[in-house]
Amino acid sequence: MSYREHLPETKGYPRAAIAINAVVALAVTALILWWAADFAVFYEELFRIQPVAEGANAGVGSDWTSGNQVAWLDFLIAITHAADVIMGVFILFMVFLHWGAFRRLAGRMRQSGEGTESSAVAADGGRVEEAAGGEDTAGSGDAADDSAATDGGETR
Amino acid sequence: MTQLDHGKFSKMTTTFHTLLALDVFVLFFSGYSLMFNDELWWMVGLMGGAQGVSAVHRIAGGGLLALIVFWMLMMVTTDTGRGNFREILPSKGDFDAFIQDVQFLLGNADERHANARQFAGGTADEIPLLTYIGKGVVFIFAIELTLLTISGILIWSKTGVMDLFATKTAAAAFVTFHGLLGVIMLMGVMFHIFEHGFHPALYPVEVKAFIPKSMIPEDHDDDTEGTGIERLELSPSWNMASTVVGAMTVIGIVSVLLGSLFDEGYPVPREIAIGGGPTDILLTVGINMGVFVLLLGLVLQMYGNLLRVRWQKRLEQEASEPTAAADGGHVESDD
Repeated sequence: MSYREHLPETKGYPRAAIAINAVVALAVTALILWWAADFAVFYEELFRIQPVAEGANAGVGSDWTSGNQVAWLDFLIAITHAADVIMGVFILFMVFLHWGAFRRLAGRMRQSGEGTESSAVAADGGRVEEAAGGEDTAGSGDAADDSAATDGGETR
Repeated sequence: MTQLDHGKFSKMTTTFHTLLALDVFVLFFSGYSLMFNDELWWMVGLMGGAQGVSAVHRIAGGGLLALIVFWMLMMVTTDTGRGNFREILPSKGDFDAFIQDVQFLLGNADERHANARQFAGGTADEIPLLTYIGKGVVFIFAIELTLLTISGILIWSKTGVMDLFATKTAAAAFVTFHGLLGVIMLMGVMFHIFEHGFHPALYPVEVKAFIPKSMIPEDHDDDTEGTGIERLELSPSWNMASTVVGAMTVIGIVSVLLGSLFDEGYPVPREIAIGGGPTDILLTVGINMGVFVLLLGLVLQMYGNLLRVRWQKRLEQEASEPTAAADGGHVESDD
């Protein structure tokens, strides 16, 4: 491949490893699914009334009641709900954080139509004035238009 | 046209990313049209009803199983894979980057921390392989995909789960548990789409995940201080697009979170509710918005691959006609 001559030498993954691992992965998948498809249970046992619950709930529908009494499953679901809510709030925060950061970064970029000498009207319907920082959003207090181009990077 | 930043991932990784993304999108569409069937009834119909959706979900599930087994093998059996473990471990720099991002948002910091920078520009040698968000993505997705695959395999044969649990109710609850597990990833992927689609310098899609590092020249003019972002021109559509998709992402995340609480099953509803959760118009609109964000992600990742193909063609073209391309292509003399 001639176009590669200007490109860097990078360290990737060996082709043989990719090929072998792909084959092994497919084989493992086939085995696991074969095993999963083979869970055997007698159908006539499935929809039997299962009178395992005691008291007033015994009899028809008792599997509903007892199904609601698997303590560890109940706990797993409660934990998962909690994790969903906690992570959801965190992810939302991250969305707002990035949204705001993106607006600030956008304010530093050259706006379309800016910086050209000719004041030719852009015929593509673009806004030909500084658009950044116009509307204050995402809680970035001062407008997103800091043109103070400080030298970046080493602020550690 | 997207700005080309510095290459990060190998060809294997970028290809894997695409395959995983496609597979996970299909799993999301099929799985959550089951879980949120009240709100996404049209999607269930689209995939051929309850049976069709289940079939699609299982086929994609088989694909996911193959993909994650392959990835684990690659990480363990190759030098490159083992060498990358260090790169994903959280460091103090990542915590600092998070704090500095908050400061940056509030206007108390002038730059994003190196561990948070998506657009490297002239500072490429300072930034690590993964941002702090990137590391979070790796951890969350790895844990989620593993748990989802294991619980999914157990569900593969419904009768098998029933055999384990001995009651239909508990088996149904286990399916609910599997669906609830995926909610974190569902919300995370929406954020992932927003984060990598709407960075102003990289809008409409960040190509790092699609163009392998072996195809990106390493030379960069270091005559600028900082990233050089102020030299780039902002796309005229960025403002509107980022606002609309940002809002949709937020609404989508909130809606699937609320939906997961309503369609809870605890393990299954205490009372039998025919038709499932609340047929709430707002929730319906919100969850559909979230699905739209996912669809947008699907489109953007195809676009990322289209850019890779175009980029490769351009490289081949430049190699065949060695005259200096005046369009800012890389025609450095290597002597």
